[in-house]
Amino acid sequence: MFLLLPFDSLIVNLLGISLTVLFTLLLVFIIVPAIFGVSFGIRKLYMKTLLKIFAWATLRMERGAKEKNHQLYKPYTNGIIAKDPTSLEEEIKEIRRSGSSKALDKTPEFELSDIFYFCRKGMETIMDDEVTKRFSAEELESWNLLSRTNYNFQYISLRLTILWGLGVLIRYCFLLPLRIALAFTGISLLVVGTTMVGYLPNGRCKEFLSKHVHLMCYRICVRALTAIITYHNRKNRPRNGGICVANHTSPIDVIILASDGYYAMVGQVHGGLMGVIQRAMVKACPHIWFERSEVKDRHLVAKRLTEHVQDKSKLPILIFPEGTCINNTSVMMFKKGSFEIGATVYPVAIKYDPQFGDAFWNSSKYGMVTYLLRMMTSWAIVCSVWYLPPMTREKDEDAVQFANRVKSAIARQGGLVDLLWDGGLKREKVKDTFKEEQQKLYSKMIVGNHEDRSRS
Amino acid sequence: MGNEASYHSEMGNNFDQDEIKKLWKSFRKMDLDKSGSLSTEEFMSLPELQQNPLVSRVIDIFDTDGNGEVDFHEFIMGTSQFSVKGDEEQKLRFAFRIYDIDKDGYISNGELFQVLKMMVGNNLKDWQLQQLVDKTIMVHDQDGDGRISFQEFCDVVRSMEIHKKLVVFVEHGQED
Repeated sequence: MFLLLPFDSLIVNLLGISLTVLFTLLLVFIIVPAIFGVSFGIRKLYMKTLLKIFAWATLRMERGAKEKNHQLYKPYTNGIIAKDPTSLEEEIKEIRRSGSSKALDKTPEFELSDIFYFCRKGMETIMDDEVTKRFSAEELESWNLLSRTNYNFQYISLRLTILWGLGVLIRYCFLLPLRIALAFTGISLLVVGTTMVGYLPNGRCKEFLSKHVHLMCYRICVRALTAIITYHNRKNRPRNGGICVANHTSPIDVIILASDGYYAMVGQVHGGLMGVIQRAMVKACPHIWFERSEVKDRHLVAKRLTEHVQDKSKLPILIFPEGTCINNTSVMMFKKGSFEIGATVYPVAIKYDPQFGDAFWNSSKYGMVTYLLRMMTSWAIVCSVWYLPPMTREKDEDAVQFANRVKSAIARQGGLVDLLWDGGLKREKVKDTFKEEQQKLYSKMIVGNHEDRSRS
Repeated sequence: MGNEASYHSEMGNNFDQDEIKKLWKSFRKMDLDKSGSLSTEEFMSLPELQQNPLVSRVIDIFDTDGNGEVDFHEFIMGTSQFSVKGDEEQKLRFAFRIYDIDKDGYISNGELFQVLKMMVGNNLKDWQLQQLVDKTIMVHDQDGDGRISFQEFCDVVRSMEIHKKLVVFVEHGQED
């Protein structure tokens, strides 16, 4: 018994010392740079090392697969069929033209071959459709040592499995606690800081402090996720009185953008921890939080946003017009509300690199807490942010056309596919109006000719 | 899945192993309740299909045993008719079946009316539609029985290079 005592205290001492060292390191290398917005480049070094390891691992797998003689890579395609993007009118006209030449003297009204267009379109969709593809996570070509992305890579060698096991150990036992500690620090500093700033009288001092408290806490959160962000074209950053518009992949988008600029947030009032954070933030600077009931009232929302935007001293608003999280391979329909207000729009494109961790939040599969845990146990979140030059609505454009123009610009910059479909289709059905439109188009083709003939 | 793929490639369809694997993926994605067969609702969960007015006809043609659902075998046989390797006769039959709702081998006046109605919705009055239907049957009905047989259908449509129009190309990626 007595022999164990000095041993015990030794262990306790060691534990104490290592914890202290850890926290000092934490403070010096992570929190202090975050406060001043400086970076030591540790995360970039980490990223380079990881890339080297992934390359080695993939090479190893390729060799192993060749030995066992089975196919490793699924060939990368944007879809499994080659689609022919012709419109209803073009195609039906073409089909009729290639038909009997004796139809030259009379205008055809309905032909038995008119169904071909609909059949083919239907078949293309059944074999591979464009829309639901966007709602599940993108599949990777090489393995990044995370078993959650391991779809078709199986057991290859002992060395690889050991490496993977080591990876698990590092991620869950070292990185995860570190990150949780950072996140905790960041959030509590935000709440405490903004509440304290809220007690100050309104004026330049308050604004200055509020801005820096916000930025500091977001930067700590960025480090909590080990997010390695590259900002492009920072000269185009949103200014006061404007609206910042970006494509939406996950709730982390907010942290990424807000750590580089000072924005007014827009959103629904939540309960729980989020609610506490929201209430604290609004004390320091005017964010726009809506009650659940107010969200349904579009006029009220538009009015409040307009009021905010017209006050030039107020901060730029941050909005995600898709309305829901898309898996970062495409940009879906932008809701027109934010484009009707008439303010300058600053588009921002965010593109994540899926090699280090898939940032997409599949809200039907994972809850918020599960999602955050997955984020914190990935290697890192690597993304690029492009600030695009500001756009304003032109005189002959309506809100929908303007929204589409902005959407195309964002899609082009981020290398994403520009889709017309509504992100809400994740949960709801297509409105009947789409089918009715097709029917109307086709009817015009038949009736138009019919009317000509009856007149003559 | 390996066994099933080889089973299907022997079944007289126009796809190779690779293409069947890809179609299996699509099939699985659509089979939301994992029952092994696709119901009409599962087809209609694809947004682009919801805007297609003829989708119920296409599903009906797939469902060869008439149990209201499409299993993977019916799926493969159905999509195979649109393969680039499919022959003209197969495609003509497919198109004919769109119109021939009761599968009796003839397109009657009523059937043509129903299909046309699906395509135009409420944009044309019924009497206008009926006029179009009557005219079409009159023009194409050669033996005068008041309905269009498969042969008469082919005579009209054959010249339209149907083998080019009713084709969906399945892409091949690089093989390792």
